[in-house]
Amino acid sequence: MDLTVVFIFRYACGSPGEPPTANRRRNSEPAGVAILGGIYVLVLVVYAASPGTTDVGYQPNQPVPYSHALHAGKLGLDCRYCHSTVEYAAQAAIPPTQTCMNCHKSVRSESPKLLAVRESYATGKPVEWVRVHDLPGFVYFNHSAHVRRGVGCVSCHGRVDRMDVVYQAKPLSMGWCLDCHRNPEASLRPQDKITSMDWTPPEDPVAFGKRIRAEQGLNPSSDCWTCHR
Amino acid sequence: MSIFRELQDHQTVRQYTRAAGERLPRWVLPVIVTLVVVSWIPLVFIAKSRVTKSDVPRIQLIPDMDQQPKYLAQTASPLFADHRAMRPPVEGTVARGELDDDDLLLRGKVDGNWSTTFPFPVTMEVMHRGRERFNIFCAPCHGLAGMGDGMVAKRADALQEGKWVPPTSLTSDVVRERTDGELFNTISNGIRTMPAYGPQIPVGDRWAIVAYMRALQRSQNASPNDVPADHQSDLR
Repeated sequence: MDLTVVFIFRYACGSPGEPPTANRRRNSEPAGVAILGGIYVLVLVVYAASPGTTDVGYQPNQPVPYSHALHAGKLGLDCRYCHSTVEYAAQAAIPPTQTCMNCHKSVRSESPKLLAVRESYATGKPVEWVRVHDLPGFVYFNHSAHVRRGVGCVSCHGRVDRMDVVYQAKPLSMGWCLDCHRNPEASLRPQDKITSMDWTPPEDPVAFGKRIRAEQGLNPSSDCWTCHR
Repeated sequence: MSIFRELQDHQTVRQYTRAAGERLPRWVLPVIVTLVVVSWIPLVFIAKSRVTKSDVPRIQLIPDMDQQPKYLAQTASPLFADHRAMRPPVEGTVARGELDDDDLLLRGKVDGNWSTTFPFPVTMEVMHRGRERFNIFCAPCHGLAGMGDGMVAKRADALQEGKWVPPTSLTSDVVRERTDGELFNTISNGIRTMPAYGPQIPVGDRWAIVAYMRALQRSQNASPNDVPADHQSDLR
């Protein structure tokens, strides 16, 4: 990229096709350096400050080495087995310890990895999971509104069924949300495929999404007050 | 004309080089090369941070009011002994619309006996809902056909878990002979090693699951006459 910029700079100093004369170069050189430096700093700042750099890839350590790759991937548990409020509430709740113990009372009931879960079950104190997908306090995202209109889990959370430790896979920035609010077709799917991680539309995703959009009369708003209250 | 086409023209390149060579001191070229090389370093670091994962919390360049001193769902609070910001309702309080007064709907009982009927009409919609909920909450252990061969059961077998009790086949005679109210109660409150699913599944969905279980049971104990006349020929 830098090399390209250098050549652009050269072109800025002399018109293409004609070798630059010494005089012209001498006059335009400081301006050229300033433009070059400006472009470089701009690219650097935009690249460094984009949510793809600052937010994506956040993978906090959790108090229990729970693996989505095992539970959701290998065992094929539906997302809603644990995140059972996702269709009714704004929050796709982190499951209570009771949900873990549904199985782990008898499966791997002595495992040291599950110590924190058993302790929580015995004392009634919650396991202190670390939040991965954290929107700013002035954003009011509602899971049920999206899930019931045909936006699948994988659209915002990525391939959770392949994550041993969950990380943020998408930028979750305002621009990213608006991209979809303005052109939702490619992210729409039938209701019975909402939690499927590997579903692909049988035809062109946009054409398929258009049909779902028309069927349900979806008209996602991009007004400020839709997400900010 | 494209830059690269132009560059391929050796004549042009030579002219550029000569023009630079005649005019610039010797140290300029190494300095430019060094600058170009050094200018790549921050870009490489940024590119690396874009593709690697980190447990360092996200960087907020402009914090604004991203983190507000308010409680969100399931957040922690130092005010309470259990560190939960969300508080359970005071004992003895009843939320609007949640008065616990429908014995049939909430407990599967009619006059103290297990109900043999549903609290609402079983429609195709209810059956579809029941199948979906069954596949989410029951199939992990009981299997998609209710035979007790779910993925969790298979894994428990593979791990040779001593405490594991294989799940009952839902199409067995024992379960088939149970009343609707009893099955509903089993889902709600659990039985033997099966945990209670009342907290996880809303009450209407639990009834829908009972309806779908009845369909599974019938499918495993059907005679050719149960198949609709226009599909009889498909049996062969």
